[in-house]
Amino acid sequence: MATLPAFLTSRPLFKRTAAPRPETAAQPRELRPRRDPYVLRSLPQDHVFFFSKKIDNSRLVREPDPQAKSACWSAIGMASIAVVALACVLVPGAMTTISGYRLESLRAEQRRLVDEHRALDLQEAELLSPERLDRLARAQNLVTPKSDQVFHLDGNKPGSTVAMVKQ
Amino acid sequence: MVERRLFVIAGVLILWSGGIVVKLSSLQLIHHREYASKARAKQEVARTIPAPRGSIYDRSGQTLAMSLPSETVIVNPARLPNIDVAADLLERVLHLGNSGLADKLKQAAERGRGYFVVKHSITPEEAASVRALPIDGVEIESHSQRKYPNGPLAAHVLGGVDFAEHGNAGVEQSMEELLHGQPGEELLLTDVKRRGIESRQATEPKPGIPVTLTIDERLQFVAERELAAAVEDRHAASGSVVVMDPSNGDVLALASYPTFDPNDSPTPADDSARENHALGVPFEPGSCFKVITLSAALETTNLTPSTPIDCGLGPITMFGRSLHEAHTYFGVIPMAQVLIHSSNIGAARIGMRVGQQNMFDYVHRFGFGQLTGIPIPGESRGKVRRIKRWSAASVPSISIGQEVSVTTLQLAQAVCVIANGGLLVRPRLILKQGDRSIPPAAPVRVLKPETAFTMRQIMQGVVQPGGTGYPEARLAGYSAAGKTGSAQIFDIVTKRYTHFYNGSFAGMAPLTNPRVVVIATLNGTHGELGYGGRAAAPVFHAVAMEALRILEVPHDLPDNPPVTAIADAQPLDSDLSVPDLDAGPNILQDTDDDDAPGPDAAAGPRVPDFKGMTMRDVLAAAASKGLTVLPRGSGVAKMQDPPPGAVLRQGERIRVQFSR
Repeated sequence: MATLPAFLTSRPLFKRTAAPRPETAAQPRELRPRRDPYVLRSLPQDHVFFFSKKIDNSRLVREPDPQAKSACWSAIGMASIAVVALACVLVPGAMTTISGYRLESLRAEQRRLVDEHRALDLQEAELLSPERLDRLARAQNLVTPKSDQVFHLDGNKPGSTVAMVKQ
Repeated sequence: MVERRLFVIAGVLILWSGGIVVKLSSLQLIHHREYASKARAKQEVARTIPAPRGSIYDRSGQTLAMSLPSETVIVNPARLPNIDVAADLLERVLHLGNSGLADKLKQAAERGRGYFVVKHSITPEEAASVRALPIDGVEIESHSQRKYPNGPLAAHVLGGVDFAEHGNAGVEQSMEELLHGQPGEELLLTDVKRRGIESRQATEPKPGIPVTLTIDERLQFVAERELAAAVEDRHAASGSVVVMDPSNGDVLALASYPTFDPNDSPTPADDSARENHALGVPFEPGSCFKVITLSAALETTNLTPSTPIDCGLGPITMFGRSLHEAHTYFGVIPMAQVLIHSSNIGAARIGMRVGQQNMFDYVHRFGFGQLTGIPIPGESRGKVRRIKRWSAASVPSISIGQEVSVTTLQLAQAVCVIANGGLLVRPRLILKQGDRSIPPAAPVRVLKPETAFTMRQIMQGVVQPGGTGYPEARLAGYSAAGKTGSAQIFDIVTKRYTHFYNGSFAGMAPLTNPRVVVIATLNGTHGELGYGGRAAAPVFHAVAMEALRILEVPHDLPDNPPVTAIADAQPLDSDLSVPDLDAGPNILQDTDDDDAPGPDAAAGPRVPDFKGMTMRDVLAAAASKGLTVLPRGSGVAKMQDPPPGAVLRQGERIRVQFSR
């Protein structure tokens, strides 16, 4: 018990059975022991002594516990299943949300492209306006070809030409 | 003591969890709908799914009208925290310059206006800049805007739309149910940054159905250009041109002058320009109506083109009405010459032979006094009085195109009867609705084929030397037929005919198998240059030539025939212009095909031998002779149909097979 800290020993663990003291009955007991004023006071924890004890546990071997290993794997498996289950529950929702973002973004882009296509159609129609073509042709001194001057050639073939008439 | 404490703690925990349960129940069960709707109101945005108005195309697919989304910047001046700052920012991002926007906004705010349009039709870049502005009270409105890329081209056919994009004239109005789209609505779930996460359609959008017209954009342009030039050149008040395909009634061009730009908002000043003179303003047709008179005479009397008609040597009076010729008096001339010289007295006498009832019947058979059914609002029936209200002088008057009023379109419909062998085909303006083709209406026989053929030959004389339409209506390289008309305009105030004319020309080409009928009318011309032969015939010439070129109709005559030879061969005053007419209306048997090539067609060009020639040489050789070749394959010519030396019929093309 010498290694126990003092605070554990401050309160007795076991109650002492007090034996009757005959002399104390005759003499009045001093409430506080008289202290020798020439003796130095003990230091705190003066009564605690430490000492080392060599323990040889080199021969001590931990006995493998097969149940603990399986329990460990079970715990890991359960945790994995829980993670997968959680993922199964959460990922579709998350993917749906992400897909929703992408879908709406694509829809907006589709609308924008459709509008742009219509705008380009209109621009093309304006550029191909007969009035504009007529004005450009007149500026280039072009005249309407006579019917015998019109050749319908396959314009896709290499080397094909476009017949034009100049004034 | 410990147990008591435990009880207290447990009680507190139970109360706490009970409170949570109660609150959850309140949130999830009792007030679920309320909170859910509040959340949705915050997260969901109702968005309009655009359904653009259907486009309008010409017969070759060129766009005549289409709708585009457009954005407008609007401001609520009352909500602007600082009008000066807002105006300055808006002027910068919208490139308005110093437009005095701040003053305008202040005035609007003082008047309590909560809606102020800053700029229409902003660009996407401008829209992005405005959206980035941290100003309350500035909003962007999206709407659709109707655009007409060709400006005033075919304006009277297309019509226009109002601010809500509902048609208010022309095809836009008559096809409103088809063209008008019904926008849909979708609910968009958004995040805190208002980005869309998920959307669901609340209402299905119904886009407008596109409409394809029978109008040819190029021909329409030429018709409008020539009409405008003629009206200004002849100082006429207005004019109209109608080009029709007589075989199926397709309206290839319908022009009216003055015109307008449907892109502009209508103003009271351009009310007259918005009048469609081609079908909404009837006029007295004058001599053009003699075609109806002679057709009725050929069918109902024993008159033939060679029957002599006494046109007199001076004015005559019929039923108290004086009739006279424009210049000279013709004496006794064959009936065909009555039309060629446009004799009023002769036509009146022929009309008297036809009789009141027959004249009335044929006027109605040719479609006058009735709507043609063209899907353009505002069409006039013209005016043909009921026979009970005809006076004794009505027949001679109507015989020369007076006492009746017709529209240019009705006149075109009637001339189509002559051109297509006697069938009345209703004008067709709508070629397709979406992808669905609209078939032409079933034709109704009005004339016997031989009568129509005879009339075409008589009308050919009008554009030949001596005719009232020569030389203006003569077409280089094509045979043509027609009739001039110069009707004095009746003044309803003075109850007298004025010296202003409705100059008209109704013609067709080529003669053997007419591909186009062109009617040109100028209203309010004056002087001799205002006659139909001088004012309207040049319009017919220009439009018909362009139409034949666009439709790739092969020449059936040399470009410059020897005019003197024709004149010498057909003396004007002594003989018929068309010698074949001597046989009368029964030249053809009932079983004869009216569309078959005429006798002249047999003397067509001979097919050259193309064998061994390259495609370029074949095309050049064919072009030099005015022939049309349909090449197939590549290499050198191996086979051809018709064979070399064969006589090419009217409209026939040469198929040449090339191989290596």
